[in-house]
Amino acid sequence: MKPDILKMVQEDCAEVAADSISSLAKLKGECVFITGGTGFIGTWLVEMIGFLNDNYGFNTKLILLSERAHSFSAKAPHLAMRSDVTLIERDVRDIVELPNEVALIIHAAGNPDNRLHASDPLRTMRVIANGTDSVLAAASQLPNLKRFLNISSGLIYGPQPLELASIPESYRGGPDCDSMASVYSEAKRFAETICSAYRSQYKMGIVTVRPFAFIGPYQLLDKPWAINNFIRDSLMGGPIRILGDSETVRSYMYPSDMALWLLRILVDGTPGLAYNIGSPHGVTLRELSEKIASNFSVRPEIISRVLTNGNLHRSIMVPDVTFAETTLNLRLKVDIDEAVKRTLLWHKQRM
Amino acid sequence: MSKILINDATLRDGSHAVAHRLTAVQIAAYAAAAEVAGVPTVEVGHGNGLGASSLQLGESLVPDVEMLKIARSHLVNSRLGILVIPGFATINKDLSMAIEIGVDVVRVASHCTEADITERHISYARERGKEVYGVLMMSHMASKEVLIGECRKMEFYGAEGVILMDSAGVYLPKEVSEKISALVNNLTIPVGFHAHNNLGMGIANSVAAADAGASILDGSARGFGAGAGNAQLEVLVAVLEKMGYSTGIDLYKILDAGDVAEKELVEVIPSIKSTSIVSGLAGVFSGFAKPVDRIAKEYNVDSRDVFFELGRRKVVAGQEDLIIEVAMDLAHSQESK
Repeated sequence: MKPDILKMVQEDCAEVAADSISSLAKLKGECVFITGGTGFIGTWLVEMIGFLNDNYGFNTKLILLSERAHSFSAKAPHLAMRSDVTLIERDVRDIVELPNEVALIIHAAGNPDNRLHASDPLRTMRVIANGTDSVLAAASQLPNLKRFLNISSGLIYGPQPLELASIPESYRGGPDCDSMASVYSEAKRFAETICSAYRSQYKMGIVTVRPFAFIGPYQLLDKPWAINNFIRDSLMGGPIRILGDSETVRSYMYPSDMALWLLRILVDGTPGLAYNIGSPHGVTLRELSEKIASNFSVRPEIISRVLTNGNLHRSIMVPDVTFAETTLNLRLKVDIDEAVKRTLLWHKQRM
Repeated sequence: MSKILINDATLRDGSHAVAHRLTAVQIAAYAAAAEVAGVPTVEVGHGNGLGASSLQLGESLVPDVEMLKIARSHLVNSRLGILVIPGFATINKDLSMAIEIGVDVVRVASHCTEADITERHISYARERGKEVYGVLMMSHMASKEVLIGECRKMEFYGAEGVILMDSAGVYLPKEVSEKISALVNNLTIPVGFHAHNNLGMGIANSVAAADAGASILDGSARGFGAGAGNAQLEVLVAVLEKMGYSTGIDLYKILDAGDVAEKELVEVIPSIKSTSIVSGLAGVFSGFAKPVDRIAKEYNVDSRDVFFELGRRKVVAGQEDLIIEVAMDLAHSQESK
């Protein structure tokens, strides 16, 4: 990986962690076990903890579990080769026991790619449901487990009502359980419930986060989400194509913010509670495409293709993150304009 | 005014009508005429899509790569489209070649219950910035509930729209309305319809689809397509215009393109022959018409019996080998009588 790219990510970590070093002190000297450890979330957690180890002597040990651990060397060799990182290649469902030294667990296994959900819905559900059960069962045997962070999903709320500007953790909606679009979100709901059951039965310190949308380095542009497609289209010279309703609203958090928030919630979140994580600042697809286009000297064309004679399917998905902000004093450091700019730069340097 | 995106299948589905023997001159002539008419998308290739040229399905006279290059050189404002059926078309051999040549629109098709096989092809084309649609063939063989599920898969894979094909020309307008409405009401992407004319319903079914919310319709000049042909493009454009839909196509120029097709491409203008009616009633893929006629003669059996037996066996495109088996069985059965 090019040095410039590594430097960018290091600077991202330094920027968001600068005033949070003391509040992350509970990580010092601990062994953190991360399922899905080589995915997008896992990779950023390794970047952030690696940064803390290298610059602030945290001496935190990482064990990453992944089905495709072998491919981490190609994706992020600088992380795969770190002496404080141990890779284990295994299906999360096959976990029976964990090293006794593990004190903190971040359960991030589960692929959010809806192409996979459509092709293999049963596997999607089994990995989340059975995998969560397996890792919780193994965690319940640990002698020194301090916290278990369950990475759920903002999708568990089901469709956000258009009149609701942002979804708080108390919202009691839900996905349509008879829809193929719900296999991931329903499985995540089940995972939250089984976490509650383990917390109740084994008195484990389990905290849940519900991530929304992110954009930044390490996120692949082949993912079937609007912002990824817009960035890919723009890097190919355009046009940026908006499919469907251009007034659809999403919000995006930069991954260095995400990594910091996850670690803060891991060490200081209240067991039994759930925290939304994401940007509370909604942006329409039209605004988003314009923000992306404005980063190019030769501005790519933006095409809004509304080719439907039925109803337009406008949607909104924005988290209310007041709970995390007020109880843990968390703030977004990177806004959407900066997130887009850095993401484009990262991909340009990789090309 | 509601818009309808027209996909001109003359140089793809029409290939069936001449046993995939379209010449370079014919392709150039029609592509140029379609360009002048302002046809949004001109679909080109073997009748069964890229990579399908074979002994079983019929060998193309002009290889895919040449067909696409010729069409590309005559299309400026009209977009070049292709159909790919995973299994016939591979990503490395066919899709990447087409993208290299400069194809604009990629339609990835599967049997109506097998959308799973389209994921990689749809993703590949989307990742390369192409406009990609999912196509469900033989859609009469699945309920609207199943079709919604299969279309949703394609939507998740990245399809920007989905098209139901009436590959056997079996639908009546009421069935089209029900299925298209169900898709329009349950998907977030545009829905389209591709008609065949076996029961004389090509235009009527296309109109029913548009009225039910379809925003993409297929047609071909003079109905030049498999079996009894497709919805006749010139008629479709005229009817849509009369109904108040906008296609962006110049009526006079598309009428001229139809004349070009008749003069340059069409050996025999598709008509609704007995076998086409039977294949429509039997629900058998329209592309089977020519091989069924040929094989029925070879084995001295009634082609209508062959069609009904193929329908009973629920054959789908790509199972052309079964025609011989059915003809042989019928011949043996006749001998034993």
